[in-house]
Amino acid sequence: MTDVTAAPSRRPSPGRAGFGRWAKEQYPLYILLVLLVIAGFSSDAFFTSRNLTNLVLQTSVIGIVTLAQFLIVLTGGIDISVGSVVGLSGVLAAGLFSGSSVVLAVVVAIAVGALIGTLNGYLVAFRGLEPFIVTLGMLALARGLVYAYTEGSPVRPEAEDFRSIATATVAGFPVIGLIWLGLAVAIAFLARGTVFGRRVYAVGSSKDAAHASGVPVKATLVAVYAMAGVMVGFAGFLLASRVGAGTPTAGNLYELDSIAAVVIGGAALAGGKGRVFGAVVGTLIFAVITNLLVLLNVSTFLQDAFRGGLILLAVVLTTFRFSRGGTGSRR
Amino acid sequence: MTQALREHPQGAAVPAFALRGVGKSYPGVTALADIDLEAFPGEVLAICGANGAGKSTMAKMIAGQEQPSTGRVEIAGRSTPITSPADAESAGVLLMHQEPLVIEDFTVEENVWLRRISSAGSNRPWRRLRRGSDPRTRGALDAVGLTDVSPDTPARELGPGPRQMLALSRTQVVEHRVLLLDETTASTTEEHFRDVLDLVDRERAAGVCVVFVSHRMDEVFAMADRIAVMRSGRLVDVLRTADTTPGAVIDLMIGESVAALEPLSLPVRPDEEPLLEVEDLAAGSAREVTLRVGPGEVVGVYGLVGSGRSSVARSITGHQPRLAGRVRLRGRDVDARSPRAALRAGLAYLTEDRRREGFVPAFTNGENMTLSTLPAFATRGVLRGGAERRRVQQLIGEFQVKGGPRTLTRTLSGGNQQKVILAKWLEAAPQVLVLDEPTKGIDVGARANIYEIVRALAAQGRGVLVVTSEAEEALVLCNRVLIMRDGRLVDEFRPATSTTDDLIRAALGGDTA
Repeated sequence: MTDVTAAPSRRPSPGRAGFGRWAKEQYPLYILLVLLVIAGFSSDAFFTSRNLTNLVLQTSVIGIVTLAQFLIVLTGGIDISVGSVVGLSGVLAAGLFSGSSVVLAVVVAIAVGALIGTLNGYLVAFRGLEPFIVTLGMLALARGLVYAYTEGSPVRPEAEDFRSIATATVAGFPVIGLIWLGLAVAIAFLARGTVFGRRVYAVGSSKDAAHASGVPVKATLVAVYAMAGVMVGFAGFLLASRVGAGTPTAGNLYELDSIAAVVIGGAALAGGKGRVFGAVVGTLIFAVITNLLVLLNVSTFLQDAFRGGLILLAVVLTTFRFSRGGTGSRR
Repeated sequence: MTQALREHPQGAAVPAFALRGVGKSYPGVTALADIDLEAFPGEVLAICGANGAGKSTMAKMIAGQEQPSTGRVEIAGRSTPITSPADAESAGVLLMHQEPLVIEDFTVEENVWLRRISSAGSNRPWRRLRRGSDPRTRGALDAVGLTDVSPDTPARELGPGPRQMLALSRTQVVEHRVLLLDETTASTTEEHFRDVLDLVDRERAAGVCVVFVSHRMDEVFAMADRIAVMRSGRLVDVLRTADTTPGAVIDLMIGESVAALEPLSLPVRPDEEPLLEVEDLAAGSAREVTLRVGPGEVVGVYGLVGSGRSSVARSITGHQPRLAGRVRLRGRDVDARSPRAALRAGLAYLTEDRRREGFVPAFTNGENMTLSTLPAFATRGVLRGGAERRRVQQLIGEFQVKGGPRTLTRTLSGGNQQKVILAKWLEAAPQVLVLDEPTKGIDVGARANIYEIVRALAAQGRGVLVVTSEAEEALVLCNRVLIMRDGRLVDEFRPATSTTDDLIRAALGGDTA
């Protein structure tokens, strides 16, 4: 069943011999490079430090959400509640305890994310429900709670340093971007360098085979959803911190952007295949094109159409890669 | 003589199909090279070869599913070469796959008429499907021995053997001139063997050209008129069945003589404490199963499909719930509710269903080999890549796996996949290893390898329980063979003093003379 979707050859070797094969698989990276070249030629404003800083600020939150989505997609699941959870953790971080302390706000946001993630994971792993349905319910539930809590207007935290994390820079580079990249490196290590990560790939590729091999499938699934929840909750705080308030529409449609970024980055929705690097590149592709469309004064409605077209284009490109790799070389 | 045999046995006639200088290469691999072969109506042609010899590729080419890189495929009644599955189908080629093509959510009847459903859809897709049974369905099912299966049964409820027969029942309702059986009998057992044999006889009498791909000598010699032997993508020879022997064909298949497998004569050590004790076990269709496996002992459980033999193996090792009974390992009770728990207690299970639960499809050989013992290659959850790589390299050598540590396991032949899975289990150092059909769909050479590995394990004082549907395997591999019938263990044999005939009779029950 998974035969069709799994890539014929995966994982480049780090050695020199593997570089050619690695380079052949990097469609998303080439799309990104082409986009950067186009951006540089079509707008003088693109390669300015101010615009690039802005780009990083806008990308980091969705980037972290994409990392969470990546882990879940690796298990063969999908989480469409991430956007709502970003919203809920954001407004609760800003609103509970009157948003009087940044530390408390971070704790609240992470706790909200962890709770929802664990619940998702429990329903998927132990009750055997479809991830799509579980997180669809959670999407509506969490967003509903956001509107009920905020009554539709933004929640302003009391703490004056609430925006400090989002606005701080280190040597001119935004801290929020460093957090994103740090998390990306950590997740990449988790996926490739640990027993847990290997088990996540095994579960994603074949739950039956993983179970028969003594992999604790259910525990692995719950852990993945819980970890993803923590990251999404934290992303919710970062977004509120950047905006300076918990807004009820925060995180809207993040589920679509994160899923698209993960898939463009080369991960298989069927599970068991994908790399963190690809997910990061996928996020950047989205960010660059959105940024460029704004710089070129394209109307917001057309921007959505562009991004939709880009998703289709990127996904079509991945099918070329699969067929060229040749499933026919079996035997 | 060889050259002459590649053409018609009796003289000039129109061949049912012909391969003319056919070759197939994939990037970096030549799967087939320069094949010339003809087959005629009313003839049964066997294509033999070890796994990876290219026999399935050849069958797929005749069916139009793969296109030759060089040469062409001709089918009687068509002037143009076959270039697609639709071409082959319209020319009357019917291919039966190794894995039966059965839609689980359809009834048995709908599966019988699957081809018809798809073609009827093309002109009137809105047409309501007729309710109620077509009388021809009953006939088609009876013709393949599924006499006690109702047409309304959901196909999901059939076991692997009946599923294969269900797929074969389509030969009764689809017109064809060439019938290709691609290792169709790999998952059928001895009870269906007769049905397949009858079917092939009828097809031959009806003037169909039957081509079957196999590496099981018993069926090749029971059915075929001619035998085409392949090795490493080449047609080595075409022999008349009457003029040759299984030994000669096997020699051609592997290119050198292998020593015949001698029955095992390890000393049974009844005086030692048994490793595994099973008492009054009930699970699935198995009831009141009591058995013991001593250190260094290989115990066989032989039975027909549905006798409950797999239930025994699966329930002991946590793959299936146990309804009653006790399992003790070295005198200590083991109540394994999951494969993980069984593995921790020292019980490993080599599955019958290699594709589904034998290995992780996205994983390389190395990753599959270490999956069950990963923590041994890690410090606080962080993998030590070097240690893992070194161990995998050793295992690949020890188990003679073709392909390296980074080759995807699913691209290997069945025999090599099985070696990878065995390596995984032996790495977990179980006290008792339970093997469920260890050589299903595996060629002769790899089979000998696997037997060696099992014997070496027993020689280390571990226990092995082998569940099998092949009487010969039970006799060759085991110290003792238990017979399972209708969910119960009914008899016990020693290989030294029994024959396959004894085992089959005992498994079928007293009523067969």
